Amino acid sequence: MRHVRGFDVVRPLSIGMLILMMLPLVFLPLLSIFVFGTRNGLGTFWNALVAPEAVFALKLSMATSFWATVFNVLFGLFASYVLSRYHFWGRNALIVTISLPTAIPTAVAGFALLLLWGPYGVLGRFLAPHGIQLMFTAGAIILANIFVTFPLAFGVIKPVFDTMNRSLEEASATIGATRWQTFWHVTLPSLRGAIVSGALLTFARAVGEFGSTILVSGNLAGRTQTAPLYIFAKFNEGQIEAANAIAIVLALFSFLIFSVLFFARDWLDVD
Amino acid sequence: MVRAKSKLIEIDRKSESTTNTPQSAASVRGLSKRFGKSSVLENISFDVAEGEALVLLGASGSGKTTILRIIAGLEQPYTGKVILHGRDVTELPARERGVGVIFQSYALFPKMNVEKNIGYGLRIRKRKRREIRETVDHLLELVQLQEHRKKFPSQLSGGQQQRVAIARTLAYKPEVLLFDEPFGALDTQTRVHLRREIRALLRKVNVPAIFITHDQEEALELGDRVAVLNNGHIEQIGTPYEIYNRPATEYVATFLGAANILEGVVRGNYLEVAGSKLPAVLDREKFRDGDCVKIVFRPEDVVATKGDLLRSGAHRISSGIVDEVTFIGAYERLRVRLATSVDECKTQEEPFYLTTETPERRPSTSISITRSKPEANTLRLSTGDRITLALTSFTVLPIPRKPQSRA
Repeated sequence: MRHVRGFDVVRPLSIGMLILMMLPLVFLPLLSIFVFGTRNGLGTFWNALVAPEAVFALKLSMATSFWATVFNVLFGLFASYVLSRYHFWGRNALIVTISLPTAIPTAVAGFALLLLWGPYGVLGRFLAPHGIQLMFTAGAIILANIFVTFPLAFGVIKPVFDTMNRSLEEASATIGATRWQTFWHVTLPSLRGAIVSGALLTFARAVGEFGSTILVSGNLAGRTQTAPLYIFAKFNEGQIEAANAIAIVLALFSFLIFSVLFFARDWLDVD
Repeated sequence: MVRAKSKLIEIDRKSESTTNTPQSAASVRGLSKRFGKSSVLENISFDVAEGEALVLLGASGSGKTTILRIIAGLEQPYTGKVILHGRDVTELPARERGVGVIFQSYALFPKMNVEKNIGYGLRIRKRKRREIRETVDHLLELVQLQEHRKKFPSQLSGGQQQRVAIARTLAYKPEVLLFDEPFGALDTQTRVHLRREIRALLRKVNVPAIFITHDQEEALELGDRVAVLNNGHIEQIGTPYEIYNRPATEYVATFLGAANILEGVVRGNYLEVAGSKLPAVLDREKFRDGDCVKIVFRPEDVVATKGDLLRSGAHRISSGIVDEVTFIGAYERLRVRLATSVDECKTQEEPFYLTTETPERRPSTSISITRSKPEANTLRLSTGDRITLALTSFTVLPIPRKPQSRA
């Protein structure tokens, strides 16, 4: 009888309530993608997936996100190094500015890029006569991705930089290493976890980017149409299966990235 | 203070003439450092001979860490020079100095195993793989960590990590080893054990070493010589025996363990203390008749007896009343109130006079005495006992003429 007396009713109740709340908000929407996508059999799903335009959209998303990630990780490293090593006037203003892009609506971000680089934009108008057109190309998508994911890698890397033991670098210097050797052999290995997490976060966010991309890419099927834009376009055309197939791929992809981030945390943080 | 300064100049002069002699492995000359407007170091000079261990002893904020960082090249001095084996390295960056620093936190590279850590200095010097392996093997044997070679720093104990840190610096044959509070993070037992080990290791490798610490026991045990730092200047530099038994300043006396200080007056070949005459051979240039002085002695320099019978070599200073008896393991500590007052110096201008007041009515002076077990067992004392106090050894320090300078 003792175990009954110790039974905590709140525990199963609260867990049950948590799942119940998440059901209509998260689980069911996700589930319906899979239910609808495979409703007409896996054959239909597969055909929709390998359609040339769909494959192109997925590839373009991956490629543009990849380059945006490479840039933002390198920039995040550099910015973290400068901003945690040196204290100077205006340092806090820079930190706030770097973090700003996440707070700006993505449509505004896309619009801003158009106003700068578009054919009649602040800088674009000087490039247009020379036949240089940056907007409505893959390059524009990369620029938009860089803008909206700008602070993500920085936000993960900088705290690690801040808490890093300075005497490690001092030890390396007294042993005889140059600054570059110290960075390469001592600093960088300690940042491995932060760099990988920052890259995954940036990449996941960039692949899903819609608001800014639709403005700067021109949404040209087979040329500048990314996966999220493809879903939107096919949905508007009433081709639910086509939209659904890509939606499944993107959902699984995000699930994969966040599983890695969550379960590989120990590996990423090893000291 | 004045004495310490004059002593410093003395040391300065002495070492200047020996700067280029081969036995000086590392020297600093006239080092000073400022942070903003506040001065952290003032005219620091000392030499370390080949194979010698020098300890910079001081409280936190005394500037000892700054001296270490300046020698290592991690900080720049405001004035002064750092000379390693006759080479002026003041303008060189840390990596070109070839000093080995053992940081308080060890600063082992967390992503490298023991072997990689030790071989780091040779790897960045682009040495041949075979040479690196041989050196690492040799050093692992020296610090007795052969079976831990593949482990990462986080898998090692504090003592083992420190041995790796030492081996890592020995790999590139440093000009001098600098230890920053090397035992600060360890428990008392490991600390005592480890400092004996390091002492033995240093004798083996014959590399000069500079330790910094705030622990006087550590300083006395580790150092061939000890420099006592206070507020950015050296109060005294000497062998552990010298600084403990012949402190040059009151600060040194009190910083290195417990010290009793009584004031007295110079009267010819005697010192007048607490109404008694203490024979003393004094430097006539420093002390004149009628000068007020401080008599410094350790608690273990006092002999307590019940009668007036004194053992030879001990000089009676006063009688006293036992206020407190404390047992502290290896020895016994007594707190004794002096029966006679020691206010000869309070009224320096007035002639010496005898007071008729009873001792109890005047502010009393207390001193502390420690007695070894055999001593305590021969003459058992308890609170309230009246005893005769005598000194076996003491140091006389001048009191500066200006009365305000007494801290």
